[in-house]
Amino acid sequence: MVSLTIDGKSVQVEAGSTILDAAATVGIKIPTLCWLQKVSPTGACRICAVEIEGVDRTMTACNTPVKEGIVVSTDTEKLRTLRRKIMELMLVNHPLDCPVCDAGGECGLQDACYEQGAARQEFSALLERRPIRYDWRLLESDPNRCILCEKCVKVDHEIVGCDAIHVVNKGEATIIDTVDGKPLDCEFCGNCIEACPTGTLISAPFKFKGRVWDFSKVASICAFCGVGCQIDYHVRNGRVGRVTSDDSTFNNGNLCINGRFGYSYLASADRLARPQLRQGGALAPVSWDAALDYAAEKLKAIVAQNGPAAVAGIGSPRVTNEESFLFQKFLREALGTGNIDSEARLGYAPAQAQLLRRFGFSGASACIDQIDNAQAILVFGCDLNAEATGVEYRVIKAATKHDAKLVLANMREVKLRKFSNQHLKHLPGRELFLIQGLMKALVEVGAPLPAGSETLKAELAKLTLAELATASGVTEEQLRVAGKLLAGKERVAIIFGADLMRAADAAAKVTALADLAVLTGAASGNGGGIFPIDAKNNTVGLLDMGGAPDLLPGQQPAASAGKDLWGIVEGIEQGSIKALYLLGSDLAALPENARIRKALAKLELLIVQDIFEGESLSFAHVVLPAAAAAEKSGSFTSTDNRVQVLLKAVNAPGEAKTDLEIIAALYQRLAGTQQPSRAEELAEEIARSAKGYLAQGGQVVKQSATLRSAAIAPLAKASAGELPKYQLLVGPIGYHNGTSSTRSENNLMVSPSGYLELHPADAAALGVADGAVVKVSSAHGALTARAKVSAKLQPGLIFAPVHFRELNANALLKGSCNLVEVKVERG
Amino acid sequence: MAEVVFSSWGREIVDNRKGGEPKQASFRLPATYDGVRPLNAFIGWDGIILYNKDVDIPAMVAEYMKRVQTKYVCGKCTPGKKGTRVIMDALLAVVEGRGNEQMLDTILEVGDILGNAKCTLCPSSAVPVVDAVTYFRDAFVNYIRGAKSLASEARYIEKYTAPCMDKCPAHIDIPHYIEAIKDYRYDESLKAIRDSMPLPSVCGRVCPHPCETACRRKQVDEPISIMTLKRTASDYEWAHEAAPPMVPKPSKEKKVAVVGAGPAGLAAAYYLALEGYPVTIYEALPIGGGMVAVGIPPYRQPRNLLQRDIDIIQALGVEIVYNTKVGKDISLDELRQKFAAVFLAPGAHRSKPMGVEGEDKGYKGFLTGGIDFLRNVYLGLPTGMGKKVFVVGGGNTAIDCVRVALREGAEESVLVYRRSRKEMPADVWEVDGADDEGVRFEFQVLPTRVVANENNEVTGVELIRMAMGEPDASGRRRPEPVPGSEFVIECDTIIPAIGQDADLSFIPADAGIDTTKWSTVVTNYVPLKGHDGKELKDNMGNPLSRNLITNCDGVFAGGDAEIGPLTVVACIGSGHRAAKVIQRYLEGEGVDLTDDERMEDILTYLGVYDKNEHVDWLDSAAREKQDEIHGRERASYKNYCEVELGFTDSQAIREAERCLRCYRVAMVAVPV
Repeated sequence: MVSLTIDGKSVQVEAGSTILDAAATVGIKIPTLCWLQKVSPTGACRICAVEIEGVDRTMTACNTPVKEGIVVSTDTEKLRTLRRKIMELMLVNHPLDCPVCDAGGECGLQDACYEQGAARQEFSALLERRPIRYDWRLLESDPNRCILCEKCVKVDHEIVGCDAIHVVNKGEATIIDTVDGKPLDCEFCGNCIEACPTGTLISAPFKFKGRVWDFSKVASICAFCGVGCQIDYHVRNGRVGRVTSDDSTFNNGNLCINGRFGYSYLASADRLARPQLRQGGALAPVSWDAALDYAAEKLKAIVAQNGPAAVAGIGSPRVTNEESFLFQKFLREALGTGNIDSEARLGYAPAQAQLLRRFGFSGASACIDQIDNAQAILVFGCDLNAEATGVEYRVIKAATKHDAKLVLANMREVKLRKFSNQHLKHLPGRELFLIQGLMKALVEVGAPLPAGSETLKAELAKLTLAELATASGVTEEQLRVAGKLLAGKERVAIIFGADLMRAADAAAKVTALADLAVLTGAASGNGGGIFPIDAKNNTVGLLDMGGAPDLLPGQQPAASAGKDLWGIVEGIEQGSIKALYLLGSDLAALPENARIRKALAKLELLIVQDIFEGESLSFAHVVLPAAAAAEKSGSFTSTDNRVQVLLKAVNAPGEAKTDLEIIAALYQRLAGTQQPSRAEELAEEIARSAKGYLAQGGQVVKQSATLRSAAIAPLAKASAGELPKYQLLVGPIGYHNGTSSTRSENNLMVSPSGYLELHPADAAALGVADGAVVKVSSAHGALTARAKVSAKLQPGLIFAPVHFRELNANALLKGSCNLVEVKVERG
Repeated sequence: MAEVVFSSWGREIVDNRKGGEPKQASFRLPATYDGVRPLNAFIGWDGIILYNKDVDIPAMVAEYMKRVQTKYVCGKCTPGKKGTRVIMDALLAVVEGRGNEQMLDTILEVGDILGNAKCTLCPSSAVPVVDAVTYFRDAFVNYIRGAKSLASEARYIEKYTAPCMDKCPAHIDIPHYIEAIKDYRYDESLKAIRDSMPLPSVCGRVCPHPCETACRRKQVDEPISIMTLKRTASDYEWAHEAAPPMVPKPSKEKKVAVVGAGPAGLAAAYYLALEGYPVTIYEALPIGGGMVAVGIPPYRQPRNLLQRDIDIIQALGVEIVYNTKVGKDISLDELRQKFAAVFLAPGAHRSKPMGVEGEDKGYKGFLTGGIDFLRNVYLGLPTGMGKKVFVVGGGNTAIDCVRVALREGAEESVLVYRRSRKEMPADVWEVDGADDEGVRFEFQVLPTRVVANENNEVTGVELIRMAMGEPDASGRRRPEPVPGSEFVIECDTIIPAIGQDADLSFIPADAGIDTTKWSTVVTNYVPLKGHDGKELKDNMGNPLSRNLITNCDGVFAGGDAEIGPLTVVACIGSGHRAAKVIQRYLEGEGVDLTDDERMEDILTYLGVYDKNEHVDWLDSAAREKQDEIHGRERASYKNYCEVELGFTDSQAIREAERCLRCYRVAMVAVPV
């Protein structure tokens, strides 16, 4: 600890603290403008200048570390004059367009001028005006308003890990711009807008939508990915005008494109606004009573005739915990069927079941903020940028600010590649060899292994690093380097995503990775943690609420398991399932959907309850329009088990109701019992039923699980079949999340349509140039799209984004696997 | 001797404008800018030096501030960005006849506010302006009142520099690369380094870092760890498997040959290759890197990283022909015929004799020289070393020999030096490192005789104690032998590591290339003289400002063979300049030095760093120390693992935060 005196008060702070930090601990507020806690200090504005006895010049409090015994003054006549003059200099040639500036009312410059009493202007210089960038998408930049605080540049670089904007030019001509001066082309997370204290960087969709003080702010939780970022909806006239996030939030105010701009899906023309019934072959709007009565009667009749097993339901990772809970209760109790599942079946649910069995945790083994302080991180089969951007920010923070070593195992060069110390760009499908290669490397580099790993070590001794390297498509040296990076660390975090959980033979691969977690210590109580990632917001909540055939609420095993997703599809095909209730799940858009669509056409009753018109709609008998996340209250459970409350910000369009209200209404029609239609009324019941969940003041919270130590599984025999010439990988991209963002005009402005990404070597072999039309076909479907040639892939691997309905890349897949052998031709 | 008309340099006012007995002031500046045009004025961070009373002071400082603001001000702090603009506009208004006297007060006021700027560029640039307004106010007022200036027109040449950057023989933009690290931009940092330093992994490890002796942070507490930060930037690219971003320009016709793949040759090849010239390097050894590869031990410079730097240069299209000695396998004449230009950078690989009785007897165990010993070790050749090794010398090569001897299995490794430990020319940390590893030192002794047995095997060495003698004419005391103090130390190996020079025997006598008695190649230079009429020399006694072209058309020379045996970084600076001169030669643009190169040399002579400057700053951030492996184990048999481990990234960031960013701009006024 260091002792010092600030304005006569004695202060003790940790060594390395700044004078600004130290002053804050005793309630002394030193004025700042360019200082932003979450990024490195800039020292640009100079208004935090303080005086220190024995030092003739002023020192800036934001970036000067404390020193034992110093005597600091923060508010002297000299400093007041200096600060005022600095503000006057800052205002030299600053435009006086405050009345029409979007930052008006929330401008850091206005506030600082006011605070420092900069009421006059003694200085002048020749006026030079710089062009306003109207040619950027989603953002606008007016460099004339810029005070060069660099917050935007630092947030872009240090937090988001991009280099989209820089300080360019010299002298008075210095501005923030793209490096090459071309229109902005970045991740469009808009975190720079949030950081900008002035009206320099503004949100184009929000511009002139109203004065900031006319909006009401509703605190909520982002409804896109599982990170669970805390957001504010800004509402005026019943519409969300923008989404922001405060730096004091768990996510430090950092959002991604979906979180910040994706809200425009709320106003999409594709929103379902009225209940509909299929009458004479076509869907027609009807009253709620008519739709619900029809659905209830039909369900009753089917159960009466064929038994409850003839009914199935598909839940959604998008809806709230309360809605998922009531949905499974409706199916299990009101209808008596255990046929309930969701798209989590494709990968996340089986992976989680396995981790639950072995280690006793659901979701993740630790809170994602543990990642910040990991010493080594392995990101396996996961494009964090697309699957959980907020986790990616934490990995970047750990790697750049906390000296964490990063090993990336991915078939593609995803964004984290530029931060990784070792990228294992393995062959598609060869994950098991790679994991075993990493195990072998740990042994070879002499990593201290936990007790109980002797058998595994003996089994590994039968394999050579060389053969494992060759089979996985990396080099021995790469494996060794990766082994060294992961070896002997106290806190190793292992993060994995869809490319592993949806790989062929995923169960064996997840087992092996879990073993690697044991070997590296990631799975131990004080290790870095195991983080399975799903790209949807409430997958963990859905499973916790019992949204799976084998799991009751609280992840308790069901006495008799119903059919899972693919079992339900088969059941429909075989005619044993006659009624299907889709809650916020567009089943007809999932993998192998030609088959699914054929099956859906056979149903006697298909209830589609959704916020959008989707592919399943053409098979629906009853359509129930639902409210989106901003239009209701309830809770989501994040990927790392944080249960967070969202509050209703706006009304749902037209006659749409919340899923909870709809399910309750159906429940009542079928069972005759009144069910809660408000989230808070369900809290107690959830806490009673779902182990691990507690009710606190009308809200549910999830207890953190204690990590069980698990035995290492026997080494699985990896087999290397012939590598197909071309394989298609279908997955998410950073500009979208699920299909909701493809209904957001903001996202579409940046990423309007699907494409096929392929390696330059394949492009050359096929004679395909960037932008040319390519046709890709598998045994299950075909598609044509424009080629995007990119060395980020590898020869033989083609990538298609999953989001776009028109592209329908999922149609080519078989079952849950996200990789499929394809033929590729020029289109 | 030319008289200073006015000077405020060093905050000391010498004003001889009013006549009377002239006050003397002398500065380390040449009388002429280029051997011809007189240097009428020099202005910069420390004031104004005026040699000619007719210089138009307001016009000069207006131009100075305009250049500073529009070309160099980074814009990253409010006073700097806006304040220098306010001053510039006020000065321009005055000299363009739009000014008023209040503007002069504004200039002084803003000049004062600039003292609170983020770095020193803007405050230091205000110094000559404030001096001008203070001491030449009449000249400004004349402008304001509309009087036409009678002063003659001048040509101004400015140079952006910093004390560290000036002191670095390769003139790396050090503040830039440090600032980039502070901003977590290791790629930008490395790019800034590579602009002047193509072997960053090497000079991030083994550079004697003269820059750190010229670091202003030293006046606050300790200098910035400039060298290790360079290693950080370089290692980051390697540790993140990042591809170097350099792309050479389209390939050109004219080809260049380089003799020697050492630092100078590699540097020249790198910069020429970037310009698109096909370059072939002829290297006598089987490996590249020159003295780095065969002189510097791998525990200081891991060979994989040296090779990576060389691979990167080769990836730009440079061809290296190994095992080819120019003068033996291919003649200089042949090179001249095949290539449009030839750059000689053979290095200094020849050991100097020690001058003791018995050294020429061919005794077994008496090795030819330290540099030969190290070369043999690194090339995996037999060294002839025994178990008790005795090294003579006080430089880095001697230290390398004793430390390498340990790693080669010597049971005893002794270093003898005729002066005291303090006086050893070797870097202090190297001497400490040898100490740490168990080397024995004998100071103030001189070998006098090699002791051998009847089989002509070395069995010992006879030494005599040295004591400081009486001061000589220059007042310096030299060590002298103490009669009768002879004694013998047993050993089976003697390695003289006295020094080395270049073997220039490959240059035919009729080539027209002059050499010196110190075995260096003579190159052309600008005849700069001081105001006392003396020729200006560099630290090695060479003419100060050289263009590295020899008397033989198309043949250039650099590195140790031109400078005299010096440092990696000096050779890289030499190779870089050679590349620029060769490029101009090939483009037919003449081989004269550019303004930038001239200013570089002039500033180096003047010295941008002032050790007496009072630097006002709070000393609350101590210099970061890199991790290091300690103890004798690190020098165990064949253990060439790196001893210093570099910074962690977060350490590097903290260290970079300490940098005071001491940029400054100098400008001279010469007749048009």
